[in-house]
Amino acid sequence: MSRFDAVTRILFEAFGAAEVRLFYVLGYTAIGIFFYGAYVQIRKYRRGAALELEGGLWGRVGGMLAQVLNHRTIDRRDRAAGNAHRLIFYGFMLLFAGTATITLEYDILEPLFGIRFWHGEFYLVFSLVLDVAGVALIAGLVFMMYRRGWMRLPKLDYARPDRSPGDPDFNRPQYRREDWAFLWGLLIIAGTGYVLEAARLVWLQGRAEVWDTRWWSPVGALLAEGMRALGLGAGAAGLLRHGLWWFHGVIALVLIALIPYTKVKHIFTAAASLMVRDPQAAQRLPRVADGQVEVGAAKITDFNWKQLLNLDACTKCGRCHEACPARAVGAPLSPRDVILSLREFAHATLESGAVPAAAELDVHGKGPGQVAMETLWSCRTCMACVEICPVAVEHVPIIVQMRRKLVEDGAMDPLLTKTLQTIHKTGNSFGESKRKRGAWSKGLPFPVKDARKEPVDVLWFVGDYASFDPRNQKVSQLFASLLREAGVDFGILYDGESNAGNDVRRVGEEGLYEVLAAANVNALSSASFKSVVTTDPHSFNTIRNEYPDFGGKYEIQHYTTLVRQLFAEKRLRVTHPLKYRVTFHDPCHLGRFNKGYDAPRELLALLGCELVEMGRCKANSFCCGAGGGRIWIPDPVGAEKPAQNRMKEAAAIPGLEVYVVSCPKDLTMFEDALKTTGNEGKFVVKELIELIREAIPARLAAEVPA
Amino acid sequence: MKILVAVKQVAALDEDFQIRGDGRDVDADFLIRDLNEWDDFSLEEAVKIKEAAAEPVQVVVVCVGSEEADESLRKCLAKGADRAIRVWDAAVEGSDSIAIARILAAVAKREAPQMLFAGVQSSDQSFASTGIAAAALLGWPHAAVVSSLTYAPGAKSAVLRRELEGGLLQEVEIQCPAVLTIQLGINTPRYASLRSIKQAAAKPIEVWSLADVALGAGDVGEAGSLSRVRRMYIPQKGRAQLIDGDAAQQAARLAEIIREFKGAAA
Repeated sequence: MSRFDAVTRILFEAFGAAEVRLFYVLGYTAIGIFFYGAYVQIRKYRRGAALELEGGLWGRVGGMLAQVLNHRTIDRRDRAAGNAHRLIFYGFMLLFAGTATITLEYDILEPLFGIRFWHGEFYLVFSLVLDVAGVALIAGLVFMMYRRGWMRLPKLDYARPDRSPGDPDFNRPQYRREDWAFLWGLLIIAGTGYVLEAARLVWLQGRAEVWDTRWWSPVGALLAEGMRALGLGAGAAGLLRHGLWWFHGVIALVLIALIPYTKVKHIFTAAASLMVRDPQAAQRLPRVADGQVEVGAAKITDFNWKQLLNLDACTKCGRCHEACPARAVGAPLSPRDVILSLREFAHATLESGAVPAAAELDVHGKGPGQVAMETLWSCRTCMACVEICPVAVEHVPIIVQMRRKLVEDGAMDPLLTKTLQTIHKTGNSFGESKRKRGAWSKGLPFPVKDARKEPVDVLWFVGDYASFDPRNQKVSQLFASLLREAGVDFGILYDGESNAGNDVRRVGEEGLYEVLAAANVNALSSASFKSVVTTDPHSFNTIRNEYPDFGGKYEIQHYTTLVRQLFAEKRLRVTHPLKYRVTFHDPCHLGRFNKGYDAPRELLALLGCELVEMGRCKANSFCCGAGGGRIWIPDPVGAEKPAQNRMKEAAAIPGLEVYVVSCPKDLTMFEDALKTTGNEGKFVVKELIELIREAIPARLAAEVPA
Repeated sequence: MKILVAVKQVAALDEDFQIRGDGRDVDADFLIRDLNEWDDFSLEEAVKIKEAAAEPVQVVVVCVGSEEADESLRKCLAKGADRAIRVWDAAVEGSDSIAIARILAAVAKREAPQMLFAGVQSSDQSFASTGIAAAALLGWPHAAVVSSLTYAPGAKSAVLRRELEGGLLQEVEIQCPAVLTIQLGINTPRYASLRSIKQAAAKPIEVWSLADVALGAGDVGEAGSLSRVRRMYIPQKGRAQLIDGDAAQQAARLAEIIREFKGAAA
């Protein structure tokens, strides 16, 4: 028996039986309200479409726990917020666990089994831990208040780019009020907890087991000393303790009751969202089931339960808002606001007893909670939002599914309509004859094998831009000469190849994508090769991640990894090192989509270039604006284009000589932006292939493209 | 209430095409088939009328063509046509626009629509006469190059506008049934998603023979035509030529040419 045996938590001391009963009534009421709210939320999610999750449950739970505990996703691009959230999270969890263990003993273990552990040294250590936890919680909360109130972070501004001032849902002041109420609520609970603790100490100062162990609650003890110094007597302290006990208790119960109805629910929804994350959310878009009549998302109930859950997981942290290239150039799109709109829509329609008629579930339009087609068409599907979201909201599939409906209705830019018809007719977006697909190879002093007619080691899937765009044709010729010089046995499919469909799918024309994917899988299957290579990250992404769903499983690399391998095998050697000061633009589909950050950088180092990174690089690379079919839709006249925004960023690098890209569409977009931003002559835009060829001049005239 | 829309699957030239062995047409291997651009607009006009009408309106597309044309007809069904009729017989090969109009008129007699729409012309042959000829054969009034139309299904007449030279507009009231040839730009044709085209594949295409429209082999083909294509060819290129090379080379070549001409003149 320890000398501290009598030491324990003072709970209901000095409370009358009726008072204790009242507390239990309030407690159960709060829990009842909580569970009813939770039921309503779960019923809302279940009103969404069905979805089978892949992968095992335990793996998902483990992954979620790891992310919740290490806070890695919250740290990203906002370390201070991550740390403050850590303080709040761990402080709150400890205090909650502390309170929960008291309940465990007082209401369950002791009355049923006579087990008591909440006393003695255990109590004292716990008391110390909880006191520290309270400090952490308060510190975190105070920082968050400073952040919201004084730091004026643009990402925390709820003003919407897709609404105008004066619209009822322009900047949603109710969200701001809720944010502050949440912070203040927690702060008041934590603050009153300390005052309550101090009052209890002063009240029971005559009791040795309380008073002598008071420094195990250092904050409470310090406050208690202060109270005593101010002349507070034991009797008055007892009254204060009694009053504060109720105040503290009722606010805590209110908070518990309100969890499912307020942003506090992110405790559950964010964790659940992390648990059901699809690691390939944007890389591999969902298929439309055979025989499904209605395509795309027209009604809120067309989203699956996981997507409805995603909507509720959003904590409005604004990281997607900040990362979005469309938003950055003033387009009427913020991924955050798409999610919040749909959340508000689901809240208004799916939380009552009965689901309203289909007409009231239409998520397309300009009304509150609806998403306008201008917003949906502004998206570049660059995945910046999905990639940065700390709670695994998957914006891009939601946007594409809504676009599928727009495509079905023909609600799109006439030029896009024309392009889709052209792709259907000719198999390419340039409207060129199929026969001309391999014509770029005629400019080479050697024939390129027809992989349909003879077996090759490496099948080169060329893609539309590298096949038909005159500027990119030159790069294709250089790459062909490079492969030949390295002794790679390669061939192309000539007119057997069609547009890979990556962007068609991201436009939302799923039917056309199916046709293109089937045609390419068919062409690839009839050829004999060991692996596929492409210079086009868009083709790379869809062949790698999406063709398997259509029966096409191939080993495929982007050219950067193949060339790196050729260097490693000494089949290529730098003979004329380049001394350029360069910066590298990560293509969305190579970088963020497929994590191909290293190979191009290693190649630049091999070539002897000095790489200066832009602020937005690798996972935070800034889309050129061409993705998601936007290359086929004219940008608004006069407004800044994403590529121009990017050029300005590059131009700020002192002494920059070459802006290096490794994607055909990037070459087109940035060469244009270089001119329109007035940077022509200051630095140049080049394909990495061009630099490689420059560092390894062709040894034989027979390998120089005409 | 019914609107009949005559459509055609046209041919566009692919790269490096070749002329057919008999020298009267392009080798079919080098042709890309698609729905005639004008017909997209006339179908859209009919579908718009159907969608705006209180009473049920049936939009029927009719095409004279071989099985190849089914692809275009399916596109029409995807865009909102209720039925598709394709008339074909080997004897139809070689028909001129008047013979085709004879078939269309026969279909119109059997279907008895209140309106017959056709495109102003087809993009491959550019006769601009098929629709008008059908009107003559039917004895119906017609209006060509219609750029705007106000028509309530079942009404005795329709009001339309035609664009004339010099920026003039002509407003015409026409008695129904009538034949209208529709101009580009009268509306914005809708997009037929691939999914809707696939779903339209389930709708049947009615294939009619000449007998179905009470015509004989002598009414169509070369036998039923008063004109025939003698040959199709690529005219000799003009004498203009592009001089390649840098400025000095171009100047040298130019001087050479001038000298040749002078020499010839001397």
